[in-house]
Amino acid sequence: MKKVLEGSHAVSEAVRLARVQVISAYPITPQTHIVEAISEYCANGTLNARFLCVESEHSAMAAVIGAASSGVRVFTATSSHGLAYMHELLHWTSGARLPIVMADVNRALGPGWNIWLDQTDSLSQRDTGWIQLYCEDGQEVLDTTLQAFRLAESVNLPVMVVLDAFFLSHTYEPVEVPDQEQVDQFLPPLSPRIQLDTANPFAIYQMVAPSAYMEMRYNIQVAMEQVTSRFSEIEDEFEAIFGRKHGPLEAVQCEDAEIILATAGTTASTCRHVIADLRDKGEKVGLLKLKMFRPYPTDQIRRHLGHAQKVAVIDRNFSFGASGIFAQEIKSALCNTDVRPAVFGYVAGLGGRDVTPQTLEEIYRQTKTSKIPKDESVWIELNQELVESWSN
Amino acid sequence: MEQLEIPSDDYINPGHLGCPGCGASIAMKLALKALGEKTIVVIPASCWGVLAAPYPQSSLDVPILHTAFAAAGAAASGIRAALDLRGDTETTVLSWAGDGGTFDIGFQSLSGAVERNEDCLFVCYDNEAYMNTGVQRSSATPFGTQTTTTPGQDWKKTRKKNIVEALAAHRIPYAATANVAFPEDMIRKFQKAKGLKGGSRFIHVLASCPTGWRVPSEMSVKVSRLAVQTNVFPLYEVQDGTTYILNYKGNRGVKDYLQLQGRFKHLTDEQIDQIQIQVDEDWDLLLKKVG
Amino acid sequence: MKKKQTSKDQLPLFIPRSNTSTQINKTGSWRYFRPLYEEKTAPCSAACPAGEDIPRIEMLVSQGLFKKAWETILDENPLPSICGRVCFHPCEKACNRGELDEPIAIHSLERFIGESAISSSKSADLKKLPNNGKKAAIAGAGPAGLATAYFLSRLGYQCDVFEAQSEPGGILRWGIPAYRLPEDTLKKEIKRIEDLGVHIHCETPVTEALLQKINQKYNALFIGCGYGRPIKLRIPGEESAHDGLRFLHQIRTGGKVALQGTAAVVGGGNTAVDVARTLKRLGVKPIIVYRRRRQDMPAFEPEIERARKEGIELMELLTPIRIEEDPGSTSKSDSSFKMTLQKMKVSTKEIRGRARVIPYGEKTKTLQVQHIFIAIGAEAEVLWHLPSAKNNNQLTLSHSTIIEQEIPVVFGGDLTNETKRVTDAIASGKQAAIALDVYFKKGWDSIEESLVNCRVGGGPALSMAAYLNEERNNRKPHIVSFDEINSDYFQSAPRVISPTLSPDQSVRSFSEIEATLSKRAATQEAERCFNCGICNSCDYCRIFCPDVAVMVEEAERYINLDYCKGCGICVTECPRNAMALEEEKK
Repeated sequence: MKKVLEGSHAVSEAVRLARVQVISAYPITPQTHIVEAISEYCANGTLNARFLCVESEHSAMAAVIGAASSGVRVFTATSSHGLAYMHELLHWTSGARLPIVMADVNRALGPGWNIWLDQTDSLSQRDTGWIQLYCEDGQEVLDTTLQAFRLAESVNLPVMVVLDAFFLSHTYEPVEVPDQEQVDQFLPPLSPRIQLDTANPFAIYQMVAPSAYMEMRYNIQVAMEQVTSRFSEIEDEFEAIFGRKHGPLEAVQCEDAEIILATAGTTASTCRHVIADLRDKGEKVGLLKLKMFRPYPTDQIRRHLGHAQKVAVIDRNFSFGASGIFAQEIKSALCNTDVRPAVFGYVAGLGGRDVTPQTLEEIYRQTKTSKIPKDESVWIELNQELVESWSN
Repeated sequence: MEQLEIPSDDYINPGHLGCPGCGASIAMKLALKALGEKTIVVIPASCWGVLAAPYPQSSLDVPILHTAFAAAGAAASGIRAALDLRGDTETTVLSWAGDGGTFDIGFQSLSGAVERNEDCLFVCYDNEAYMNTGVQRSSATPFGTQTTTTPGQDWKKTRKKNIVEALAAHRIPYAATANVAFPEDMIRKFQKAKGLKGGSRFIHVLASCPTGWRVPSEMSVKVSRLAVQTNVFPLYEVQDGTTYILNYKGNRGVKDYLQLQGRFKHLTDEQIDQIQIQVDEDWDLLLKKVG
Repeated sequence: MKKKQTSKDQLPLFIPRSNTSTQINKTGSWRYFRPLYEEKTAPCSAACPAGEDIPRIEMLVSQGLFKKAWETILDENPLPSICGRVCFHPCEKACNRGELDEPIAIHSLERFIGESAISSSKSADLKKLPNNGKKAAIAGAGPAGLATAYFLSRLGYQCDVFEAQSEPGGILRWGIPAYRLPEDTLKKEIKRIEDLGVHIHCETPVTEALLQKINQKYNALFIGCGYGRPIKLRIPGEESAHDGLRFLHQIRTGGKVALQGTAAVVGGGNTAVDVARTLKRLGVKPIIVYRRRRQDMPAFEPEIERARKEGIELMELLTPIRIEEDPGSTSKSDSSFKMTLQKMKVSTKEIRGRARVIPYGEKTKTLQVQHIFIAIGAEAEVLWHLPSAKNNNQLTLSHSTIIEQEIPVVFGGDLTNETKRVTDAIASGKQAAIALDVYFKKGWDSIEESLVNCRVGGGPALSMAAYLNEERNNRKPHIVSFDEINSDYFQSAPRVISPTLSPDQSVRSFSEIEATLSKRAATQEAERCFNCGICNSCDYCRIFCPDVAVMVEEAERYINLDYCKGCGICVTECPRNAMALEEEKK
């Protein structure tokens, strides 16, 4: 049934349909609408689940870890500082091999306090062993959240579904909300691989000596290496039932492109319009929408970008002392190939600043007119007055 | 001594890595005797994180979930939610944290859990410092103690946080102190707590640590007992945060307790007197609450 | 070649998850010290002349195992109902509980156990060696002779007891009045000894002729005839006085006596006190006259106190020097006497703990009485005096003297004992029995060493159970002091009070003054006993062991040395010092 939903509610509808059993969360703008909706489902019986209103995000993740270890399907959501607060337990969840699904609403980290779009919060968790999937629109959010449970439970790794603050979380769009029966067909009840049980007692997550720790870590990576193929299969199953597929990334007119714009989230939507306009003007430009970030789809990146002359990566995030993170990962993926484009990294739209079609055209222009990148990362549309104000 | 039958079954195995004389292992032994096999234990980082044994062993015959240091209260809440949803309201969820995981880094999640009146038994086995990491001070370390982070003349000059009072202020159904040297009383309290299902129960157990307190291992139970006999660690219960029941009236001076322990060796007579005054003050306060 | 996996295939999980217990870690290798169960001797047992296993007895009573408690007494003492009444109970003075609050009423418990057994008519399961074909003759059926017969029977000897009087019992029957020891109790206790196969031949004094027969027909002889000849005052007019012991004998045979008025009883021992209290019950006003002070009287202090409460006057520091018929009396029926008493005073010197008294110049006092009884002691008949010369074949032990003649002859009881009391007589019997058995089995030279091996504590009391190599033999001789008791485990509790007649009620008859404890009172009192040095299964060693290394199997405890780290908690916490810590042998 088609509904007009804001991105947050696309998440909560998916959680409802997935028959999640324990949800634990701490409110933080702009995640709040997700958890408020789920609270209501629990209160009015729409969802037969327990909602734990914990006292911090760290506790939220701890609670779902506890619940997942006891063999139930769980969910949490957070953003920005909340995600950072849970950081220790993000590592824990993957080491514990628990199939936890979390929605992260990409929001800037302070100081200064900033509640708007910035991708640094989720990207700075890229080493924690979570699968990361970046969504462009409301439909993709709902679909990806449902798929996330299947995927997590297939490989016993946690999955983070990422959506832009306000531009996606608070933007209303028409979204096809599936029927419960269809979802039940797609997503059966959890068969827990780990379940604390007094009839068969064991201890989990205890000390491990150097003699075995490394192998446990390797076991995680082995699971990660299965994600790409399993995600593809899951998307096929999804398509068969619901008629939609998004892919781990989406290449738009990349086959003959000389310059390819690469970005994630709602920025990709704006890019679609920009490259359509540019193509009309005869520019050989394409868009690579980035979705799966962990595991990193190296093969696909190489395949889609390898033949282009240049890649312009739009990062709405930054790793200080290095570069924009998407750009860095693309460079890393292309490093060991023989034929590869020059990678131009652009930093734009931090802390909720708009990335308009004009911004993207400017990025395209700079890329086209430069032989090699001027800097590893070029900061776009900085307010020169503000920059100069501190120099004098 | 009370004439209570002490259950004979044990759910703890020998071969664990506890120091000789470890009070925390006696505490777990007695707790599980009282609670029985339908218990799931949550253990945050602490001595018991090691006592429970490294992979691939376990020293307990009940399930254990190891968690991060700060997370016991929340993890226990999560397990409880899951069990209830699966239709199991019988299994006791036991959060078994040290003083660090209860008083300090774990305080937030414990306070949060009991404010929600989570149906779990939260236990602090208190050896009065971060013993597992090498005897650093915690907010459970008593006034007058030398630890590795309050060494020499920098011995701890602030009083021990009163965790039972802090939790009683949350108006939980049951809060109590217990001591390994009073096994019948301890078992009674654990069995009572087990029976009070439906809300948060908290038991603060004094768990002597010969290593950190610098007492000979064979004095481990005796020094625990002296803590009660000198009113340094009174045995009492609080129901619903308002009704106080006193279990034991001690009548010995604190010197009897302090002089056995190397961690107090540096104290002068004046400082011991000061401690006596503090203990007397706290005791009078408690008596007022008992009424 | 790897088969392509589908999303529904389970991936292998290698996570920190336990699959074995810590039992594979043998932490016993950490030990420097090793605990062990080591029972030690309680001070009460060491103080008891019969060496009874008192802590164990009280433990069994507290557990309601009265028959076992009884058998534990009978191991060492055949006469619990008697000793529970008349023994001076040095055990209670030694009792460690006395340093916490009050000593255990051990004698009341012994009496209770004896009475329970009598009333339930059970027979005891006691270790008895098979008949060895040897025969022993015993002269005198007093406590020493009876005990010898009892112990020798258990060691497999056929015993014949020869008693001059018409009934067995000796001082038990003839010297202790019924209000202290009822005849019925005495009969039942003696019957138990006869039931072992001991033949008591009454009205059969051991004459020279009988002695000769004994030398031919028997393998050993025990002489426990006691002191039959009263000591005289040797003062003018003594013939008017009656002998105290004879008087008590007369009362026991049921002889009627017509007495009235006032009577002087000269002496300070139990006999004098018994005579006075008997007279009181016969309607006479007795006055005890003693040459020293009350605190010097050898009589049992509680008996002296009772006498005082019954209204019996005590005149101290006086000794008779002359008895004259009172000129005022007209006929024999209401005759009265004038006694002249020399006043005494305490000199500065003491002899063996008793004050030395000397005449206080010429000071005298006169006393007018209707009757005079002398009870200043007794001595053996000449025939039974010990040979004075020391021979090579003579061994003087603490409670007996053994002489190697045609057959071995053992003297015991009051004849040899420094302390002339019932329980010491029983100790005599046991010592004689063991000494004889060793003599026959191992020879003369082994006697002393064998006796040392079955001592209780440092002696002189012996344990038959230890001699027969039962559990008790493993008891360490170290005597547990109060400091070694973990008093944290005990709270003050008052000592039981036996139901007792008031002095007014007491003097109206010869009924017993103190009643036996009820079962509940006895159990409660027995629970006060620390059980010094023995394990009473309190289980605290096991409760407190941090390493689950204390095991119990059918009430037997042992340490699991695979895991014990030697922390020592069990030994420190044992409330009764029944454990020890020894260095680990590497």
